[in-house]
Amino acid sequence: MVNRCLKPARFRFIFPDFVKGKIVVMNYIFTNCPDICPLSTNNMRLIQEKLKREKVDNVQFVSLSFDPENDIPEVLRKFAGVRNLDLSNWTLLTGDKSVTDAVIKKVGVMAVPNDSTVFKSGRKIYYFIHTDRIQLIDVEGKTRKNYKGSTINVDEIVADIKKL
Amino acid sequence: MKRELLIIIALIFTFNLITLAQQKSNNYGIQIQKGWARPAVKYSNSALYFVIENRGSKIDTLIGAQSKVAEELEVHESFKIDNDRMGMRPAGKVAINPNSEFEFKPGGFHLMLLGVLKDLNIGDKIEAVLILKYAGKIKVQAEVRDMQMTKEMKQ
Repeated sequence: MVNRCLKPARFRFIFPDFVKGKIVVMNYIFTNCPDICPLSTNNMRLIQEKLKREKVDNVQFVSLSFDPENDIPEVLRKFAGVRNLDLSNWTLLTGDKSVTDAVIKKVGVMAVPNDSTVFKSGRKIYYFIHTDRIQLIDVEGKTRKNYKGSTINVDEIVADIKKL
Repeated sequence: MKRELLIIIALIFTFNLITLAQQKSNNYGIQIQKGWARPAVKYSNSALYFVIENRGSKIDTLIGAQSKVAEELEVHESFKIDNDRMGMRPAGKVAINPNSEFEFKPGGFHLMLLGVLKDLNIGDKIEAVLILKYAGKIKVQAEVRDMQMTKEMKQ
């Protein structure tokens, strides 16, 4: 797994080292998704803002693309930029498809290409049937709770984080 | 002078066309409200949301849409497979019943802006034209924003 969105010139393996000793709030996205993934991403932002207001730190946010062939680092960087995401404790990840597939399988997230659109230029994009998930992982790397990403109760996950 | 006259005639012609379109829409009782769209990077996808009100006495159908901000526009629908998994599919035409409103909203029906031709940043204003079977072309104006799903939308 590599993070190449912030420093494209210096590719390096950083997962899970950069989350070591931290609580992780993670969601699973593809950037061509116009409806559900933006809701999940916006909810991640609301969680991040609430934690900052309540001065809860030691939390790292991670968004993993399950469509790495499209979601190259530059695409993820722009996806974050156009939404003004605060990347001070939020990392967007991509990587080789075999690796991202292995990660989502390990955590029980499903993402299967379904319908597609072919543009006049011949460019083809897929829409995925996918698990709509925000996941809370403790400092030992164990999943503590799964939430529905698009409709998560922000107060609930913030209360859960405070208990860890 | 001649050029200025031509510009004035063109403006009057355009104004009349817009007025005619509005009158035509009003005759059928169709109104579009509460338009907004999601941020998107150039060549990626956005979604346009709005409410279509049909205050007329007969059913109308949304049969297409156009916009200069995207390569293509399609009506899509997000759908639940089970409590945990979601998908999205093209939804084709959408019937708008008389004396009712139909909301294009997060997690449901939305107008896909496929392959946007420029970055859509928060605060930008965009336009699209909805094509209805009877009411014809109706303009929808939308602000780009990241909006959370409300309790009402979750139902």
